[in-house]
Amino acid sequence: MPTTRKKLPRLAAIALPLIALLVAGCASQIPALYPPQDVTSQAATTRSLYDIVFLIGAIVFFFVEGLIVFAVLRYRRKPTDTELPPQIHGNNRIEVIWTVIPTAIVLFLFIISWQALNSVDAVTADPAVRVAAVAKRFSWNFLYLGSNGRPLFTTDAAGDGNFGELVVPVGVPIQVELYSPDVIHAFYVPKFLFKRDVVPGRTNEFDFTVDAQDVNQTFRGQCAELCGVGHAGMTFDVKAVSMADYQTWLQQQISQALASPPAAPSGSPAGGGGTPGGPSPSAGGAAGTSVQITAQNIAFTTTNVTAPAGQPFQIQFANNDPGTPHNVEIKNPDGSVAFKGAIVTGPTTTTYDVPALPAGTYPFQCTVHPTMTGTLTVK
Amino acid sequence: MTSGTAIVVSHDDPHALEHGNRGISNPILGMILFICSEVMFFAGLFAAYFNVRANAPVWPPSVAEVGPIAEKFNLHAEPWFAATLTVVLVISSFTCQFGVWAIRRDDRKGLVRAIGVTLVLGIAFLIGQAYDYSQLGFGLGDGTFGTTFYTLTGFHGAHVLAGTIMLSVVLYRAMSGQFSARHHDAVEATSIYWHFVDVVWVALFSLLYVLPTH
Amino acid sequence: MATTALTPAATAYRSGLYDWVTTTDHKKIGILYVINSFLFFLIGGLFALGVRSQLVVPDNKLISPELYNQLFTMHASIMIFLFIIPMLAGFGNYIVPLMIGAPDMAFPRINALSFWMLPLAGIIMLSGFLTPGGAAAEGWTSYSPLAQRAYSGMGTDLWIVAVALIGTSSILGSVNFLVTIFKMRAPGMTMFRMPIMVWTVLVTSVLVLMATPVLTSGLIMLFIDRNYGGHFFDPATGGNAILWQNIFWFYSHPAVYIMILPAMGMISEILPVFSRKPLFGYKAFVFATAGIGALGFSVWAHHMFTTGAVYLPFFSFMTFLIAVPTGVKMFNWIATLYRGQLTFSTPLLFALGFLSMFLIGGIDGAFSAAVPVDFALHDTYWVVAHLHYVLFGGSVFGVMAGTYYWFPKMSGRKLNETLGKIQFVLMFIGFNMTFFPMHLLGLDGMPRRIAVYASTAGWSQLNLVATIGSIIIATSMLPFLWNVFITLRNGEPAGDDPWEGNTLEWATTSPPPPYNFDHLPPIRSERPVFDVRHGRVADHGSQA
Repeated sequence: MPTTRKKLPRLAAIALPLIALLVAGCASQIPALYPPQDVTSQAATTRSLYDIVFLIGAIVFFFVEGLIVFAVLRYRRKPTDTELPPQIHGNNRIEVIWTVIPTAIVLFLFIISWQALNSVDAVTADPAVRVAAVAKRFSWNFLYLGSNGRPLFTTDAAGDGNFGELVVPVGVPIQVELYSPDVIHAFYVPKFLFKRDVVPGRTNEFDFTVDAQDVNQTFRGQCAELCGVGHAGMTFDVKAVSMADYQTWLQQQISQALASPPAAPSGSPAGGGGTPGGPSPSAGGAAGTSVQITAQNIAFTTTNVTAPAGQPFQIQFANNDPGTPHNVEIKNPDGSVAFKGAIVTGPTTTTYDVPALPAGTYPFQCTVHPTMTGTLTVK
Repeated sequence: MTSGTAIVVSHDDPHALEHGNRGISNPILGMILFICSEVMFFAGLFAAYFNVRANAPVWPPSVAEVGPIAEKFNLHAEPWFAATLTVVLVISSFTCQFGVWAIRRDDRKGLVRAIGVTLVLGIAFLIGQAYDYSQLGFGLGDGTFGTTFYTLTGFHGAHVLAGTIMLSVVLYRAMSGQFSARHHDAVEATSIYWHFVDVVWVALFSLLYVLPTH
Repeated sequence: MATTALTPAATAYRSGLYDWVTTTDHKKIGILYVINSFLFFLIGGLFALGVRSQLVVPDNKLISPELYNQLFTMHASIMIFLFIIPMLAGFGNYIVPLMIGAPDMAFPRINALSFWMLPLAGIIMLSGFLTPGGAAAEGWTSYSPLAQRAYSGMGTDLWIVAVALIGTSSILGSVNFLVTIFKMRAPGMTMFRMPIMVWTVLVTSVLVLMATPVLTSGLIMLFIDRNYGGHFFDPATGGNAILWQNIFWFYSHPAVYIMILPAMGMISEILPVFSRKPLFGYKAFVFATAGIGALGFSVWAHHMFTTGAVYLPFFSFMTFLIAVPTGVKMFNWIATLYRGQLTFSTPLLFALGFLSMFLIGGIDGAFSAAVPVDFALHDTYWVVAHLHYVLFGGSVFGVMAGTYYWFPKMSGRKLNETLGKIQFVLMFIGFNMTFFPMHLLGLDGMPRRIAVYASTAGWSQLNLVATIGSIIIATSMLPFLWNVFITLRNGEPAGDDPWEGNTLEWATTSPPPPYNFDHLPPIRSERPVFDVRHGRVADHGSQA
């Protein structure tokens, strides 16, 4: 009896880690314990990291649970146990051991996860495709940006808020910028093993490269940050195609966008003649010059406007995007703000009273959608 | 039913009273801990202020960004009234401490005088603060500047108000002779609170009126 | 059964309603806390059943998204603010003065005030359901801009007021605990002879004191944004949505330690008694607890990894690091069992459940600490699994262990063991059945807080299993309620020390007299009652 009592703990000390390793290895074969198959190069990095964390986690789990189970089975109080067991208060050496070893393990995990993070978060200066993803309650709209950073077209061309489809070529970096005009959303594609928040007032940006072998697949995406009652339905698709197919599709989209009729002048937005809720005092203050700026499909339809120098003038601003807030902010050449107009939600028109500006070239933009830009020439 | 060994603590232990009463009293320790929590409360407000300020391209916000009301944001141009309020509050901390020292040497009349002066100064601060608010020309809703300014100074003012109530109670109790050199926990606790309120104001004043803007 | 009764048993006295409503006795207040918290546990549980019944099948139209969002928001808010935090405060209230040999808490009237703020706050929070827009529905995390006036109704304002009230109650309670523990220990009870339960309440109180006010400041700022035209969190006018998250999580991360440390303290009292050995590594426990408390202030942004607005490596590092003191505790608990003589009464069963389930929850956390993995798992059901393994598998099991352990002291009667074991088995099975599948759902990409999912998503079977598990959890409450009822009505008297306990609460009658102790045994170690029972075992004192 006493011999067995001495042998058992030693046996356990050897057997338990081995059993843990064995069971962990078996567990690794159960598909459901793993994230979905990764389809981007970033996801592959994350997946490798996950594998290591999972292995260590499984070993720790089986080892520690094994100790608990062992103690429960081995140390039941028997009727013969009338004397107290040895009253061991502690052991400094073992405290050091089970402090140092876990510290080493977590340090290792930290280092490999930091390395993986640098790889996953890397953003190239030269992506093949740039997309602005606009998340609003409760749909996604993808604006493909040209080389000057301005939108070429939007996937929500119908303007009806139906979810957009993000079409991308495989094998090259796709850069996504995230915008929201309302609340926080999150861009999440499970097979990318990735998500990033879309925060109003902030532009988050990330890259992904779909593996060439995953061409012609469609990946489901969904908003992952509670945004209201429509949160569950805020889905989108990412469709990966060959570069050739992508170029074809791209040209089609661009020609379609160019072919759509230019925006109507102010006063007649879609939805009838009135200007619901938009104040437009045409009188008031300094006379005369009025500049027309229109926002439609998350872009300014007129990107070059002129105003007279040295006198206040007005901007007749028409927001033709239903349910979408826009404004006009004029920046000085040095980057400081010269004028910031109130944000209005379309369809509506409003009048901005701009103070006198000296002659020069002033960029303007929409502060809600900073990809909407234009140039004001004052002379 | 008792077990074998003698297990009764002797209440005749001559040192028992010393053991029990050593160190800081319970109410004063309680007040100090409570003030720690108040420090964290203001830390949250200050953190919000610093964050909003750091994120703004220009601070205070410019006329171009929020309109003509931004001209009122230039507190640095006219800090004198607020500086006067600061002096009033700092003096009141001194008078409050004089009161504490007075009662520690059992000078009950000195206590009443000192707390009385402190209370008057505290009320003067509150009236001054209210007057300042009326002259500022901007409100809580006027951009991030208005919001942070009024939230910070408003909650500070609320704490000053609470402090003046505490001082009134202490004054009343002092005048009815309830404090002595041996028993005056409420005076000590109130004075600690009052010093805390003063320190917060000095920090606020420096932050809002003195610290250079960008 | 050895007894250390030092006085004639106090005659049971019946107190009327007026006494209970006006009491300043920490024992009665503690019991009030426990009962109030348990009621809110049932209410929060009902909301959870609502959530699970909506998710039991795909494309379900049982509960509208409007109501669903309110249900999960209120489920979490009630469980956190009205169940677990006050429940642990209630046990602390009852037990801490007894364990340190004090006659009451330092400020008995403030103690009563702290309690009564809670039912009031609960009513205020729940009254949101009666408003036109319903109760708060932005998640217990209440992120802006969703929590701004433009997107939410009066229910959110009521929620803000209720949480601020609860926070104030907590802060006052923490001041009370700290002064009591620092200043009112019986002669001989040095800091390093205090029971670990008292240490955990001490560190918890420091966390409450320092973290909760920050939440209060954030709630006030949100209230100002919503009601006074403020611009703190509103990006359109220069405010910062991320600012709310930083302020919120600066409190809410330490809050999770507030929710677990006292439960760990309970486990640290129960394991030694039912192993007949001292707690292994007393000093290690003290330092680990203090370490967790301190480190707990440095990790908050790990809830914000996907915002793109935080310095990731620092928070990842600190989050990994906090696993170390937690692991130290786990190993020390197991070492307490090792070479012991275990009696599997219900308190020990729940304590063992705590150990094994909290371990899983802790390992889950390691995944999330690895930032790229968190990019995949954040805001999915993985996190729901993780949080329930630590809060249910950890805190709730700990509370159940403490309930069975201290029920005899509070009421004078022992709960029925058979019913206790039935509850344990049902709860253990139901809990794992509900929450283990959620790991898989999260890995498969099911986001949190969605009111409905499509049949094509492939999540149907696991959700069905989870809902069945939740029904089993609900069922497990029945033997417990029945147990309490029959025990209070007609249970066997427990005597002073039914478990052969170690600490001072077992040195007085069950229930104790109002002034707690007639006599105190000499206090020469962290196990004064054990020392007396065994005539001062030679191996006593701190460490080997």
